[in-house]
Amino acid sequence: MVVYSFFIFDRHCECIYIRQWLNNVSSATQPLSRPVTASSAATVATSVAEKPSSGNRLSMAEQAKLVFGVIFSLRNMVKKLCGPEDSFLCYRTGHYKLHYYETLSSLRFVMLTDIRTESLKSSLHQIYVNLYVEYVVKNPLSPVEHAGGEGVNNELFELGIDSFVRTID
Amino acid sequence: MSSTSRARLGEEVWKLRTDKINAELVTLTYGSVVAQLCKDLDGDYVEVNKQLDKMGYNIGLRLIEDFLAKSNMQQKCANFRDTADVISKVGFKMFLNITPTIANWSSDNKQFSLLFDENPLADFVELPDDGKAQSELWYSNMLCGVIRGALEMVQMSVDAHFVSDVLRGNDTTEMRINLIRYIEDEMPQDDE
Repeated sequence: MVVYSFFIFDRHCECIYIRQWLNNVSSATQPLSRPVTASSAATVATSVAEKPSSGNRLSMAEQAKLVFGVIFSLRNMVKKLCGPEDSFLCYRTGHYKLHYYETLSSLRFVMLTDIRTESLKSSLHQIYVNLYVEYVVKNPLSPVEHAGGEGVNNELFELGIDSFVRTID
Repeated sequence: MSSTSRARLGEEVWKLRTDKINAELVTLTYGSVVAQLCKDLDGDYVEVNKQLDKMGYNIGLRLIEDFLAKSNMQQKCANFRDTADVISKVGFKMFLNITPTIANWSSDNKQFSLLFDENPLADFVELPDDGKAQSELWYSNMLCGVIRGALEMVQMSVDAHFVSDVLRGNDTTEMRINLIRYIEDEMPQDDE
C-alpha cells in the first residue's frame, strides 16, 4: 500500500495538519521523504514550491483547500440522501483513493492512498485514538484550538504518524 | 444504544480502559485548587465559582476527545435525553466512577438535573465558617465547566450550574443542565 498524503481538518474547517510522502510507488520501499508540515499555510506553499520533483502542480495549501471542499460537499450530500446515520467513507478515481473519517467532535481525517488499499476507516480511527488524542490533545501545553497547525506539529505525533503509515501495508 | 448497554459500556471503559489513580490524591488536589483560589481572590466566592467554571471549561474542551476515543462512540445522540444518559452512565462513570441520577426533566426535554449521591471531589470537605461560603461558594463548580466545554465540542451549547449542595447543608447535590441550542456545522470560508 502506498500513502500519498494525509490531512487533518478541525471543526472550524481549517487544515491543521498536512503531511505528504513522495508521490510515486517506488517511495514505498525507500525512506520517507522529508515531512511537509503545516506550521502555517505560507511556509507550506514555499517549501512545496522549492520541490519541483513532487510532481504536484498545486501547492499543498491549495490542495488542502480543494480536498476540504470535496469532502465537505460529499459528506453533506451523503447525509441528505441517506439520513444522519449514514457517513461518507471513501471515494476512488483512476489514480488514487481518498479515505475519510470524522469524529463526533468534528475533526476530519483524510488520507490519500493508491487504489488497491482496503478501507482505512479503522486505521484513521486508530490515528485519532492512539496518536491525536494521546500526543496532541493530552499535551497540557498544546493549545485547544490549533490555528495554523500549532500544537499538532509536534515530534511525537509526527513520529507516530510515520511509523503508523509504515505498518498499515 | 439502550440505557442498559450504555451502563455496560461505562462499566467496561472504567474497568479496562481507564488508568486509575488514588482517589485521595484527586480530592486533595482539587481541594488545594479551590483553597488557593479562595485565598487569591480574597474570599470573593462568586469570582471563585467563575474561575472554577472556566478551568473546568478548558478541561472539558480536551476531555471530550479522550471520552470519544475511549468510549468509541461514533453516532450522535438522537436527542437530549440520550445525551443526559451518556453523560451520567458513560462520562461520569468513566472518569470518576460515579453515576449521577438523572431527574427533574422539564416538559420541553431541554433541562434536567444530575443528582450526585456521592461526589469524590468533595470528600473530607467542610466549607469555611465565614458566613459567606455557605451561601456563595459552589465547591464543585469545576464540573459544570467540564460539562459545558465537553458538550460544546459536540455541538451543544448548554448552561450548567449547581442548585444545591450537601456541603451547604442541602439534602442533595444537584446540578441543573439546560440546553440552549444545537450548534450548526461551521461552513468553510468562501475565498473564491
